[in-house]
Amino acid sequence: MKRFRDVAILVAVTGCLVFYFNHAPIHAASLAAVPRAQAVQPQGSATVDSAGDSPGAKSYAANCAICHGDQREGNLPTFPPLIGIEHHLNDQQISDIVHKGQGLMPGNTDLKGDELAALLRYLASPAESASKPAVETASTAHSSDSSEAGGVLFKQNCAFCHGRDTMGGESGPDLTQSKIVLADVNGDKISAVVREGRPAKKMPAFNFSAPELESLAAFIHAQVDLAKANKGGRRGVDVSDLQTGNVDEGKKYFEGAGTCAKCHSASGDLAGIAKRYEGLKLEERMLYPWGVKSKVTVTLPSGKQSAGTLEYLDEFTVGMRDSDGNYHSWLVSSVKYKVESPVDAHVGLFSKYTDADIHNLMAYLQTLR
Amino acid sequence: MELRKDALRFALGAVLFLCAGPTLLTAQNLDPADLLKPRADSWPLYHGDYSGRRHSSLRQITPQNVGNLSLAWVFQTEQNADIKSSPLLVDGVLFFTVPDNIWAVDARSGHMLWHYNRPVKGEHIGHRGVAMYKGWLYFTTPDCHLISLNAKDGTVRWDKVYADQSQGYWSTMAPLVVGNHVIAGVGGDLDNLPGFLRSFDPETGETQWQWFATPPGGTPNGTTGGTTWMTGTYDPELNLLYWGTGNPTPVLNGSSRPGDDEYTCSIVALNPDTGKLVWGFVVSPHDTHDWDAVETPVLVDADFHGKPRKMLMQASRNGYFFILDRATGKSLLTVPYGPVNWSLGIDKQGRPIPNPDKEPKPDGRLIAPDEGGLTNYRAPSFDPRTGLFIVDAEFSYSLYFSKPADGTYGWAGGDYDLWSKGVIEAIDYQTGKIRWSHEVGPDGSGAGILTTDSGLTISGDAFGNVLALDTSNGKTLWHAGTGVGMQSSPITYLLDGRQYVITSSGGVLFAWALPHSSAAAAPSVAHKK
Repeated sequence: MKRFRDVAILVAVTGCLVFYFNHAPIHAASLAAVPRAQAVQPQGSATVDSAGDSPGAKSYAANCAICHGDQREGNLPTFPPLIGIEHHLNDQQISDIVHKGQGLMPGNTDLKGDELAALLRYLASPAESASKPAVETASTAHSSDSSEAGGVLFKQNCAFCHGRDTMGGESGPDLTQSKIVLADVNGDKISAVVREGRPAKKMPAFNFSAPELESLAAFIHAQVDLAKANKGGRRGVDVSDLQTGNVDEGKKYFEGAGTCAKCHSASGDLAGIAKRYEGLKLEERMLYPWGVKSKVTVTLPSGKQSAGTLEYLDEFTVGMRDSDGNYHSWLVSSVKYKVESPVDAHVGLFSKYTDADIHNLMAYLQTLR
Repeated sequence: MELRKDALRFALGAVLFLCAGPTLLTAQNLDPADLLKPRADSWPLYHGDYSGRRHSSLRQITPQNVGNLSLAWVFQTEQNADIKSSPLLVDGVLFFTVPDNIWAVDARSGHMLWHYNRPVKGEHIGHRGVAMYKGWLYFTTPDCHLISLNAKDGTVRWDKVYADQSQGYWSTMAPLVVGNHVIAGVGGDLDNLPGFLRSFDPETGETQWQWFATPPGGTPNGTTGGTTWMTGTYDPELNLLYWGTGNPTPVLNGSSRPGDDEYTCSIVALNPDTGKLVWGFVVSPHDTHDWDAVETPVLVDADFHGKPRKMLMQASRNGYFFILDRATGKSLLTVPYGPVNWSLGIDKQGRPIPNPDKEPKPDGRLIAPDEGGLTNYRAPSFDPRTGLFIVDAEFSYSLYFSKPADGTYGWAGGDYDLWSKGVIEAIDYQTGKIRWSHEVGPDGSGAGILTTDSGLTISGDAFGNVLALDTSNGKTLWHAGTGVGMQSSPITYLLDGRQYVITSSGGVLFAWALPHSSAAAAPSVAHKK
């Protein structure tokens, strides 16, 4: 929850509409036909391009870092890491995503020519930190070193869908309960799936070396052991669990008793909401959207008024950011202030909903694609 | 002449007394009899005394002078864990903990005397503090050891394992000393394990008795759970030990444990000499929301509806405020003290009736309060002057899920907090009505409550402000920002004629007092807003 809250705040702060990456299926064959981005770049220039002041790094910092992280580390579960992206996307595919967007990641057609080339070189460069796994031998499968290296690879490439701990995410299943994983011996089954992908289930193919695959398998097996040791842990919620509502009833509630339509519109702010969120995340945001900022108007003793975004409010101090981004604060005892917080209407509904209302509303929102 | 002789005798006596005084005061020795009537210069039990009221008779810091309250000293633990413990104060030394760590600190200066550290694996969710008997401390660990240490220097005298960490037990609690019993409990609800209390011989660590809240795992139709992770209270007159027990397991799926699931989510009265159950009251029959009833069972002797009563009061995690007759365990009052939507009403025995449709379901149920409950381990306080039971509440809503595929082991489902806010509430115990409430910010504060005879309520808000409120109306009289919220319950004591209030924020311990000059003469000061 906290993790999601942090992400939600980030979204609100940046005003950036970036949501689920909906990976297009990439067939092993198509990937094999294109040389790996890393192979195109000689090691020497990659090192230069990874430097913080290279044009590629600057372009990354300006266009991508706000969501994908300063070091390309991503911010799971919402924003995928881009380190090692060359394992499953080639330059052309990355360029397409940059231009057209993906999922509802906004497209950016301004990025082209030299800047785009520099950005691609930067994305193909190794991470600055020592997070790049050094897997030298194939004989270390299941050893803790190998598992650790596999963990780094997993976080960069797989965690976005399967969760950081392999125990499932919003779009990928819990690998600790996967039949393939449980039948796997030293990566024999896992490797095939990773190399070839599962196009029917939208899992892309990944281009890993044999030692890398073995380290991934070692990590996944270590997580299976961990899951067995923690068999009483908390369970997840699948999208399919949340399909018990009635669309028409939900629409009626939205427009009527729920008073949702007072602030929201199915063709306005909520258009396509079900493409941006799904499952439990959609339901949680429907019931209470974390991190939405309030507006505040402060009246000074002189009668002068200041308005902006509420940044802080306790019994003693009120803090506000104005339209220029400047922060101001006052003692509550020395000013008058008025907070506008439309999100509070969500709180007012908690005591009014029936569970059926929630399920119906959820059914209706899921039609807004 | 006679007079002069008397004066001389008096002076000699005073000198002898003063000489003897320091020797006694530095002994780090707690007579178990002192636990029955704690001295003003001590805080010898987790709750300060056996009643759990967390109400101090001290009157030096008042609503009139609290505006002058200032920092006496600060102690830095220099590590990341939040202090969630209540310090003990014995003979001028404070003893407090975080998981794996004990500190002994001079209560006058805040300087460290010794630090004990025993890093182990296991659940490090928090630690509530130590217990003391004579010159010995008792400390529980994440791997369920009870360790006896010398209070003078922190050296270990004995170390007993009392539960199996590998099965899923852990311990965070401050043991309770009653007579020659050291009583310790356990945590652990991610596995289907019975909760228990065990009594140890304070000198040898030998087990005296063990009481199980529930039958062993695998008992047909039986429940497990009923952990005992918070310190109980004790009535010396009735010779009864009062303890709250935790939630049943499996946690969110009750199908394998039909019925009330005694004695989980319960308040129980035990004989401290034998561990035998005298009575039990199920606060949440058939709980499926993780609402441990381990919150302080506060013992109050007062009139209830015109009749003198020996009462037990609990503001429980499930959202209800309970008053029981503590001799019999019979209900006197049951009333919600915030948003609660999971019950169908109150039964004849004064217990909430769980609504079967509000048990966790595959498609989710909206539940108030959330898993953390309407209150939690943070201590409430009973103020006898006003008859107010003051509790740090957290109003909240959440979604609870459980489906057959989640099984019947451990958590057996998932729950997700949606929204919450903190509210300090003053409950009139005669009626259960809220006399005043004071909002303390989004997501709640986590701070416990202390009240004093002078009419002050000490607590904190969600932003990291320590607050002194007027107990009669809840208005803020003083505050100080400490940077992060208080995760413990304040204590107070009098040393050298100066009253100290101890609070913690993050890993830092704060001692507040009136300036030396005004500790004796208390000037009246305009209230800060």
